[in-house]
Amino acid sequence: MSKTRNWKRLITGALVGLSALATCGSTLSFYEESLPTTLNPLYAASMVDHRVNELVFDRLYYHDPITNELASRLVTQWELVEQGKAVRLTLRKDIKWQDGKNFRADDVCFTVRAMLDPGTTSPIAEGYRSVFTGCEVEGKDQAIVRFTKIFHNPLNRLGFYVLPQHRFDGDAVPPDHDFSSHPTGTGPASGNLGSKQVNFQGIQNSHHQPSIAQLSLLEAQDPLVQVKTLLNNGVQGIIAVPPPYRAEVSTSDDMSLKGYDLRSWWFIAADQTKPFLKDKKVRQAINLLLDRTDLRQLSIGVKPGEQNSPCEFISGPFVQASPYYNHDVPVSARSDKDRALALLTEAGLTDVGGRWHYNGAPITLRIGMKAALDNEAPDLLSQIGNQLGQAGFDRQTYKLSEDEWNTQAITGQLSENYDLLIGKWSFGLVEDVNALFHTRRDGRGSKNIFNYSNPQVDALLAQYESAKTDTQARDAYHKLHSMLAEDLPYLFLWKLDTKSAWRTDVRGTTIAPYYYWTEIDNWKYGG
Amino acid sequence: MTRGRWLLALLALVFAASWVVPGFFAEPHLPDPDLMKRLAPPSEMPPFGADDRGRPLLNYALQGAQVVGIPALVAGLLVALLGVVGGLLATVGGGRVEGAVAAVGELLGALPRMVVVLVVALLVPRDARGLMPIALTWAILAAPGAMDEAAAVAGRLGGAAFVEALRAHGFSRSRILLYHVVGLNLRPVVVRQGAETMMQVVFLEIALSYLAIAERQGSFTHSDDIHSWASLLDLGYKVVLDLPSWHALGLGLGLIAMVAVTAVTASAAARAR
Amino acid sequence: MAADGARQWWIRPAIRLGAAALLPVAVPAVITGLIWALPGDPASLICPPEICSGTEQLAARWNLDQGPVHFFLSWLSDAASGDFGKSWRIQQGSPVTPLLLTAIPHTAALVGLALSLLLAGALGAATRVLPARADSLLSAVGLIPTVVMSLAAAAAVSINYGASAFDAEAVRVKILLGALALGLADSALAGAARGVRSIFESERQRRYVQMGILRGEGVLSNAWPNAAPAIAGQMRARTLHLLSGAVVVEVVLQIEGLGDLLWSGTLAQDFGVVLAATFGFALLSGSLLLAQAAVEIAVAMHVRRSPPVREVAA
Repeated sequence: MSKTRNWKRLITGALVGLSALATCGSTLSFYEESLPTTLNPLYAASMVDHRVNELVFDRLYYHDPITNELASRLVTQWELVEQGKAVRLTLRKDIKWQDGKNFRADDVCFTVRAMLDPGTTSPIAEGYRSVFTGCEVEGKDQAIVRFTKIFHNPLNRLGFYVLPQHRFDGDAVPPDHDFSSHPTGTGPASGNLGSKQVNFQGIQNSHHQPSIAQLSLLEAQDPLVQVKTLLNNGVQGIIAVPPPYRAEVSTSDDMSLKGYDLRSWWFIAADQTKPFLKDKKVRQAINLLLDRTDLRQLSIGVKPGEQNSPCEFISGPFVQASPYYNHDVPVSARSDKDRALALLTEAGLTDVGGRWHYNGAPITLRIGMKAALDNEAPDLLSQIGNQLGQAGFDRQTYKLSEDEWNTQAITGQLSENYDLLIGKWSFGLVEDVNALFHTRRDGRGSKNIFNYSNPQVDALLAQYESAKTDTQARDAYHKLHSMLAEDLPYLFLWKLDTKSAWRTDVRGTTIAPYYYWTEIDNWKYGG
Repeated sequence: MTRGRWLLALLALVFAASWVVPGFFAEPHLPDPDLMKRLAPPSEMPPFGADDRGRPLLNYALQGAQVVGIPALVAGLLVALLGVVGGLLATVGGGRVEGAVAAVGELLGALPRMVVVLVVALLVPRDARGLMPIALTWAILAAPGAMDEAAAVAGRLGGAAFVEALRAHGFSRSRILLYHVVGLNLRPVVVRQGAETMMQVVFLEIALSYLAIAERQGSFTHSDDIHSWASLLDLGYKVVLDLPSWHALGLGLGLIAMVAVTAVTASAAARAR
Repeated sequence: MAADGARQWWIRPAIRLGAAALLPVAVPAVITGLIWALPGDPASLICPPEICSGTEQLAARWNLDQGPVHFFLSWLSDAASGDFGKSWRIQQGSPVTPLLLTAIPHTAALVGLALSLLLAGALGAATRVLPARADSLLSAVGLIPTVVMSLAAAAAVSINYGASAFDAEAVRVKILLGALALGLADSALAGAARGVRSIFESERQRRYVQMGILRGEGVLSNAWPNAAPAIAGQMRARTLHLLSGAVVVEVVLQIEGLGDLLWSGTLAQDFGVVLAATFGFALLSGSLLLAQAAVEIAVAMHVRRSPPVREVAA
């Protein structure tokens, strides 16, 4: 019997290997914003990492980019058990890992255990520790995943990538495991992390039939070089084309711009612990001093009144197309210097020699921005500085590296260094902003930049979390929008569309919101 | 000939002043863009034209001068001084001291300079970020080479034997060391080394500024409010990509030429007898 | 005095040889101290303590929890057996040794080609095959910073090779273009030619050389022993300068070399990669020291073998 099994394994492995060759022979090359830092989904730190994960792995559940429905390529059936605190998943029997081994319930439970294991030193895993308590295998193809509490939308919590148990010696998944550069997934392509590029091989499986045999990810260079290379057919796509270069792409017959729904919105976080920013009136005044129309025109190139603008102003922490956006809260498109002046005076600031002073001391605003954002909105930092400078605030501007942003800004450690921080958040279809605004306590508010704390906001966020229906969730967030627009822990700027450029001979390019490559099976190139 | 040397030295000073002094007049921030004047040539926006956002390139030139001016000169002077020390040690015949200095020099000279420079740049607090610590670090790392060469020149003179021979002619030790050794023999070497280091610091700043942009970091060499000459050259090189930015390239290379001319003139002045 | 000088000729070369032997350990030790001083630490970068509870565990896994000396000694003992560990950040999970084995030949080729250019220029200047008036042209070309030349080269390679920019042929082209940039830009070639020319011109003025010329001997053969140590020192300094410039060239041209590893590794605080690359760098620097010591020893031997000066009777 065991000999038969061995032969079966051998044949299956050979078939999986051969199937990698069965797809079309062309390589689809594209520029990404940067190289991925890791191919291990538990240590994904950037949007590039998340996009690459989508090629190599499958999420247990995902939102279909066309229908928006929750779907799964791995699960055939699910049911709530244990009074709603667990879910039993029945998995597909015919799925293989990219190395030919069978995908089983053990792998799902291993992934949950890995996330719960303290030896997995991953912020992503840390986040799941408040969601799961464990997992139990029932037979080869059934797993019971247990939650910490009853969630009204439990499948939404199962959007994690499944990892193969057979690649690891124990439950802990450290970041420097070989898996991080040579992973094994069930996704449509296998990948290997190189120092200058990442190469992917299309893998045929029962649930994936990619038409493209090979993909090659290259690190973005100067945007002009990227566009020229694309024009020259040196590469076939650019994931994110900065706004100043979109015109050149769209005028070419060989290339087309495609929307990439990232639900990104830009903001300026204000540090309310600073004495001169503590008073809401000062924040409101600064908000009114900013002329968003001018900022948008000069940095992104959108003229006032332009139709189909890729850049839409917002007044709260959602994009206007979001069901959570409160359209009753108006945007502040133009500056209102008179009102701003009145507010500043009411707040006790004094204008001495054209400079604002607080308690007799001149105010110098320290404004930081993530350096990588300069590509999308050139000189935004200096223009905001200039507008505030013209209004009487002295300022110093700083650019932050990715590491500084991820490890210090998001974790609330930059209060001493900066007064204002310009950034961008991106969301998938689930726009959960709780982590941005909740008081940083007991694992909540993990992305609260300046440790903003408002009990009323916390209450609204709790309302959202405990909502049993979409309407309840929406109501909570509508109120949140209104409250934040008044309290202004952030000065909300705009939503900026992300556009990809693909050569027209790349067909069937369905780009999934946030994850990008969810529908890569339908893409066609060459052949 | 003495007059010629002094004239060259004066010229070197004038050239140095031409790219150092304007830095004191740099504005602390760039003006807002004027997209209608994007890449305007000098004829439309004198004296140097505009960048790709319509801002005057003059601002870049002045801010860049502010960034590199004093640090480059200080680094050059430091290397020249350390070169003198190296040459004097070889002449005085310090034995163990010379040996110890040589050993430390070998280690310093063998360190990967860009890593050391990068670490120094990252250690400097953001508010104090500037080129001076990097320039001084570069000078210290480059000094062993200068000291080596100066020591070799002093060695060719005869080292301590040379000093003793001149002492026999009745010259004082200090005159021998300062005039005969340093003034007549080490001068061309140490001034050339100092001038080369000055140029290297300018090139280093341009490289570091570009690398900071490429690595999506804040600037290593200056505050993020201002721009260095690297921005001019980053815009200028795009002529190879059909961007009409010749004026930016010309200005950037012209500024570097001013530094180079300073270095060459100073070296020539040092060689002249 | 001459006897003292004769006895002491070996001191400098001995120091260089000793340094060359120590560099592969000493340089990584110094760099460990430097990168340890950087704000933050690698464990916190991956697992920030504010949002991740495993920071200390990760620090312990990577020997970061007991100070730089402990870390360095652990690294050294592993490195002695050829294990340079794994990359923590720039190519997470990949063993460092293959990265190093790929990087060293690339950097050696890049710097070697650039150095050949410099040596050719130096030799030309010494023999006056390269006329003095060529210095102005070289200086003019040398005004272009390495980063600008490299950017132009990188743009050309990207546009023409596109996704094949990392294939063998494209890598060779990049190394060639990078070597040209390294050798010509930043006044490298101009400085080498000028520096050597000034040494030889100064030697040509000396009486012993002029006497040699009158005897029908060549300038080079007479001046070389005297000039060699200074030129060796200069060339070593220029080579080290090329190694620094190689960082810029490799990063801009995306060449997988030691400089690129050092730069990205330092920024990302990938200690394993930085120390391994530093080790590779120290080997290259050590070989330069060996070469310089060899020149000094050869010159000293030549001097000792030369016919002794006879004292003229009064």
